[in-house]
Amino acid sequence: MSGSNFLIWLVMLVVAVGSGIQVALSAHQTRTLHAQLETAQKAQDDALAVQSRLLIERATLAAYQNVERAAQTELNMQFPASAKQVTP
Amino acid sequence: MTAWRHYTLMVVFLVACLGMAVRIVYLTVAEGDFLIGQGDNRSVRTVSIPAYRGVVYDRYGEPLALSTPAAAMWTDPSKKTLTAEELAALADLLDLNTDRLMQQLSRNSEREFLYLKRRVSWSEVQQVKALGLQGVYFDREYHRYYPAGETVAHVVGLTGIDDHGLEGIELSFDQRLQGVPGEKEVLLDLHRQTIKNLQFGKPPRYGEDLTLAIDLRLQFLAYRELKAAVESHKATSGSVVMLDVATGEILALVNQPSYNPNDRADRPAAGMRNRAITDAYEPGSTIKPFTVLAALETGRFSADTVIDTSPGHFRVGNKLIADPVDRGSITLETALQKSSQVAIAKVALELEERAVYDALVRAGINEYAGTGMPGEVAGSMSDLGLRYPVVRAVLSYGYGLAVTPLQLAQAYLTLATGGVRLPLSIVRQTEPPAGERVFAQAHVSEVLRMMEGVTERAGTAHKAHVEGFNIAGKTGTARKVGAQGYDDERHAAWFAGIAPATLPRLVTVVMINEPKGTNKSGGEVAAPVYARVMARALRLLGVSPDEVSAD
Repeated sequence: MSGSNFLIWLVMLVVAVGSGIQVALSAHQTRTLHAQLETAQKAQDDALAVQSRLLIERATLAAYQNVERAAQTELNMQFPASAKQVTP
Repeated sequence: MTAWRHYTLMVVFLVACLGMAVRIVYLTVAEGDFLIGQGDNRSVRTVSIPAYRGVVYDRYGEPLALSTPAAAMWTDPSKKTLTAEELAALADLLDLNTDRLMQQLSRNSEREFLYLKRRVSWSEVQQVKALGLQGVYFDREYHRYYPAGETVAHVVGLTGIDDHGLEGIELSFDQRLQGVPGEKEVLLDLHRQTIKNLQFGKPPRYGEDLTLAIDLRLQFLAYRELKAAVESHKATSGSVVMLDVATGEILALVNQPSYNPNDRADRPAAGMRNRAITDAYEPGSTIKPFTVLAALETGRFSADTVIDTSPGHFRVGNKLIADPVDRGSITLETALQKSSQVAIAKVALELEERAVYDALVRAGINEYAGTGMPGEVAGSMSDLGLRYPVVRAVLSYGYGLAVTPLQLAQAYLTLATGGVRLPLSIVRQTEPPAGERVFAQAHVSEVLRMMEGVTERAGTAHKAHVEGFNIAGKTGTARKVGAQGYDDERHAAWFAGIAPATLPRLVTVVMINEPKGTNKSGGEVAAPVYARVMARALRLLGVSPDEVSAD
């Protein structure tokens, strides 16, 4: 076996081993990123759930009929008569 | 002796090895694809990631329809993983009937998939997961809520169990709201749990949000007053449409009866119809302002033109046109104020054959308003009989044609804008749309001035009077067609109004279908609804009163 031939073999071996390790690393990276994506998606889902629940709560509590009832019964407000209106 | 045993054993092993090698080659080459496919079928799944459906807002950002994350809970009945106690606990938690659940499971014991419950809320999912049951799976889906409920049910519509629009805006804007579901490929284990994401196909594209032109406050006002009126008059149905004069946007559109879109069990057939756009009725006297407009356009008539209506009735062909009383000689203005059939019909017969018809067509009658809501009809009006005087006469006071409340509102919008026809829109507009001038400003102003008389004390709709504001409006009481021609008992009571008359902001049409009781006229039934809605609506919008009462 000549010297140059041996050198080629050695380089090829190093390249092969290196790429093998790279494959393993990138597989690991894929898994980690996937896991992160899952976590992020779950967080997004939870946030969406909270947001929509809050929106529904707001819409229910601030429904026009509730506001009107509260104004009349709790705050003793009344609809102004025409003569009392102030024109800007 | 030993040699032949040795060789026999060698041959047997060789044949066995060869056989296995052939089998391996056969399996990999000939059946490889099939076997890999079978393997993947059992463990690799492409799961779709559902897209979040867009939110429908009113013009000020109040949500009218929105989705919350939920889960579809399912199991594999063939595996029989759930014990009776577990099932009972599950049924208890999910508010299901234990016996029915057992029956369903045993009935489907051959199958590998059965929904336990759909649209399970996020918090319930956590509770079920806490039970730690084997063989209960969750698929992500979304539950649609309608916070405003029955108030906007007809406009917004609703979605089905698979998140597709079935009615209203949810149906007509389904593509936009829906978005595109994403995809990913996953590897499942024996228990169907995802153990590895193989490929992330594509992320879901969430649906777009949609902002409607509807003002929920006005919508609620209109709904409450309409509901009260329909109940107190024991009417069959009713509709209110409110338009913004500046932009042609639909600010409120309500119908009675309605339904609750949040309750899947509550689906009355009668309540589902968006009557303001799907049902056409004869408009009766609400058409008269357009007859007057057509008369003004000839230049031969003015508000002061005197028409002789005595003796209070006259005959066209074999049709008797009559007023309730003999009003004698009255001006055109009074004819509109008192809603005199005789005077209006006489004026119409003096005009050209197509004059009134053309005015109505320009105002948008007989055409689709084109709001994009499903089920919209164009009403009906025909020019085939116009050469007969009787057809022209009845058309002048609103018979022989059918319009939807929305179309009538659009026609009145052309008056409110001073003769410009605007396209209607249910979606909020960022800038005012380009209109098309269909009537001369001078003629329209004159008609509006005359219509103000209708809501004054002497007019047919003094009950539509709103304190502090001048209202230009017109009542209509149309008899409905029954088995024997026009029915004296069944009416459509209309009121169409423009407020404030001097600087129009809102066009509102109230239609109450078949009110019962002694007085069924538009002035008695529909006009008060209009007045109550307008009194609140004008203040909500901060419209300055026309007249400030002394002191």
